[in-house]
Amino acid sequence: MTRSNDELDRLRSGRSELENHYIDELVTGNLSRREFLRRGSTIGMSAPLLGAILAACGASSPATSSSSKSGSSTTSAPATKGGMLRIAIAAPAAAVNPLSVSDAGGLCMLNQTGEFLIFDSNLKLALEPMLALSWSPNKDASVWTFKLRPGVTFHNGQAMTSADVVYTFQQLADPKNASNALSTFTGVLLPSGVKALDPMTVEFTLEAPNGNFPYLVSSDNYNAIIVPKGTDFSKWQSTFIGTGAFKLGSYTQNVGATFVPNPSYWGTKPLLSMTSFKFYTSQPPMILALEGGDVDVVGQFVPAGASGLLNNSSYKIIKLQSANHRELSMRNDQAPFTDPRVRQAVAYTLNRPAMVAGLLSGDGSVANDTPFGPRFPSTDTSVPQRVQNISLAKQLLSAAGHPNGFSVKLDTEQFEEIPQLATVIAQDAKAAGINIALNVESQSLYYGKSTFGNSDWLDGTMSLVDYGDRGVPNVFLEAPLTSGGPWNAARFHNKTYDSLVKQYVAAVDLATQRKIAGQIERLLLQETPIIIPYWIDGLTASTPNVSGLNPTSIAQLYLNGASKSA
Amino acid sequence: MITFILKRIGLALITLWLLSVIVFLLGQILPGDPGRAILGPLAAPSAVAALDHQLGVDRSLPGQYWHWISSFPGTSYTYQTAIGPILTSALGRSLKLAVLAGIIVVPLGILAGVIAALNVGRPLDKIISIGGGSTTVIPEFVSGIILLVVVGVALKWLPITATAPAGSSFLTTVKYLIMPAIPLVLVLFGYIARMARAGTVEALDSDYARTATLKGLPRGVMIRRHVLRNSLLPTITVVATQTGYLIGGLVVVETLFRYQGIGQLTYQAATQKDFPMLEACVLTIGVVYMAVTIAADVLFSLLDPRIRLKAGQ
Repeated sequence: MTRSNDELDRLRSGRSELENHYIDELVTGNLSRREFLRRGSTIGMSAPLLGAILAACGASSPATSSSSKSGSSTTSAPATKGGMLRIAIAAPAAAVNPLSVSDAGGLCMLNQTGEFLIFDSNLKLALEPMLALSWSPNKDASVWTFKLRPGVTFHNGQAMTSADVVYTFQQLADPKNASNALSTFTGVLLPSGVKALDPMTVEFTLEAPNGNFPYLVSSDNYNAIIVPKGTDFSKWQSTFIGTGAFKLGSYTQNVGATFVPNPSYWGTKPLLSMTSFKFYTSQPPMILALEGGDVDVVGQFVPAGASGLLNNSSYKIIKLQSANHRELSMRNDQAPFTDPRVRQAVAYTLNRPAMVAGLLSGDGSVANDTPFGPRFPSTDTSVPQRVQNISLAKQLLSAAGHPNGFSVKLDTEQFEEIPQLATVIAQDAKAAGINIALNVESQSLYYGKSTFGNSDWLDGTMSLVDYGDRGVPNVFLEAPLTSGGPWNAARFHNKTYDSLVKQYVAAVDLATQRKIAGQIERLLLQETPIIIPYWIDGLTASTPNVSGLNPTSIAQLYLNGASKSA
Repeated sequence: MITFILKRIGLALITLWLLSVIVFLLGQILPGDPGRAILGPLAAPSAVAALDHQLGVDRSLPGQYWHWISSFPGTSYTYQTAIGPILTSALGRSLKLAVLAGIIVVPLGILAGVIAALNVGRPLDKIISIGGGSTTVIPEFVSGIILLVVVGVALKWLPITATAPAGSSFLTTVKYLIMPAIPLVLVLFGYIARMARAGTVEALDSDYARTATLKGLPRGVMIRRHVLRNSLLPTITVVATQTGYLIGGLVVVETLFRYQGIGQLTYQAATQKDFPMLEACVLTIGVVYMAVTIAADVLFSLLDPRIRLKAGQ
């Protein structure tokens, strides 16, 4: 790496303390290129500035986190103008209402015409300006200021201003609304905390300092597309009004949707002349449709049942690192899991590499029973990975007074590979004398009312649940593990942990975040309230003549740069 | 005859009302609530409560039922839009598929049954009986997947989905529906052929058939005039009772072939606890089923004068 100190000094001048801190971390090698991009973009450093700093440090173009089994979709085929792209996605489970959407199909529809303040790019692993040009925190990250992109218009011709942004976030954060984003904003942002400083500036005053707040208003928070002030969300489905590169052609409930280019789009105009989404209610017909030539792209799929596609080199597969995972909770307040040694013993019985190979066809990575993993730069990678050790598991069980093991029931849901995972967990645990009886339920039965006392998910002695991808681990750290966490199925109550999480959420600089992450990881390994066996990659497939797809690991699909050759 | 039909319609209306009450009460047993189903398991309880209030599902049970009756068919909880258009387009699609399957399987099944009966005990009879029995037990998801993989993906003879592009001609629509109709034909063929065979064998063995033969009627005329009229009666009943399945029971076929029919719609409404949609779907299937049953009764009476006489008495 050849470094240009003069250039670096020039770039440093006028930068904030925090920005200079990240540059120091990059120069000393404490921050990798990828992590520098990610952290720098979080505190609002622009892409050209980040690129110039990297260049001054002798590093080249930004890294990408995607890998492709048979050629990268973003590079291979030459871009062609025109044509219709046909995409298979999961049918939206309910009305496409930006306030209430909570499913993969619905959120993929939102991002076809709607845009966010910030785009969290999985391909580049960095935040990119979308409707906000820049953003910056105050000293303790309790107030964030966003400068909006000028010259943006909605599909009805109306100019986008701070009034629209304020309206959108006040609706999303209003506890009186049926807003899905409340699971993100509760305890973080109140409607009164959003205000317009001028027509192009919005200020968010948070309930508590939050170093990762830009992620919460980015495309990660899939409900947060900016809509015109006064929009009736329940009727949004009839217009799909937004600021995006595509606008609504037609939408037919349960059947499909078409979108056409928005001629007054602020950014690069789309290459395609139309996109046509076809809705499916299960995965096998989607894959058959791609193989049968009925669609060009499968928006998002899971490895279970897709081996034919994954092993066929004539399709392009885009693989995204994701924080999508499964979580096995053990009731810390119920025998036999009141003793942490028993919980550790269960964790030591698992053969994680075999699970990743067998259940995920290798499209994932092993996890270490904490919400920190490869998706998050703040993860302390020096914490040793837990590996299968049956004799240690037996020793721990003996020490805890269960030399002959014990029997327990595991409640779980009928969803993707989860029933198979539950079976593998039961088989692995049997080696240490633990007999796990499985109770696999439909999702509605398993989740119940999703409140304590009314849900097998939250009340089961052992319970195995799915968690979707997030750009930052905040939700995974808080909801299922803090003392007041609404999804604390393990009933884990630990004051040290609660305080560490509070510090982690407030921390702005990466070094502090990583230091606290290490402490959290070690504490969770010691206590093992939950087991996270693996991380699951996000997968998108297409025919070879499609290029420029930009999927995210939460099932969004950006088609601004997509093209299809003949 | 008119009195007979009016009586049947009156009974059908009472049955439909009872059906609506049963579905409403059974729907309460289903786990979860509409707000939770729409917002997902991880939504904040306050958001779920707000949505449940908006939808009116926090009202008393009689209150909910009365609200539904008074605004029938009403608005879907899940899709937040009027039920009428969604339901009619789904019913239209289901009817197209059912009619196509019916047009193929009814004549085919009856023909095969009659041929088997005329060849009782011979190899042809055994082939038809065993073949029909075998296709009936193949579940639609098995035959459907095999068809998709072989005919759709490998040979590329027929489109892989059942939904023809908007504005397609009649023939294109039929082409898209052939593959999804085949699993239904396979399931129903055995039933219909078996009933037609049994009815024909019985009729052939009857006194009136023997009399007709003895008085010198040619075999073809005897079968057409005397045997078929009687042997088809149980077959009509079978066909009529399968209507409910053909209209509302095709969830698997609709899923496999991406066809948004009323079966899928009913299933989704039940899983999402979308009560107005569920009621509307079940009642629609009920109406179609009863209409077909009444039509079958009328046909029955036309074929069998004894029934006409009884109704007239």
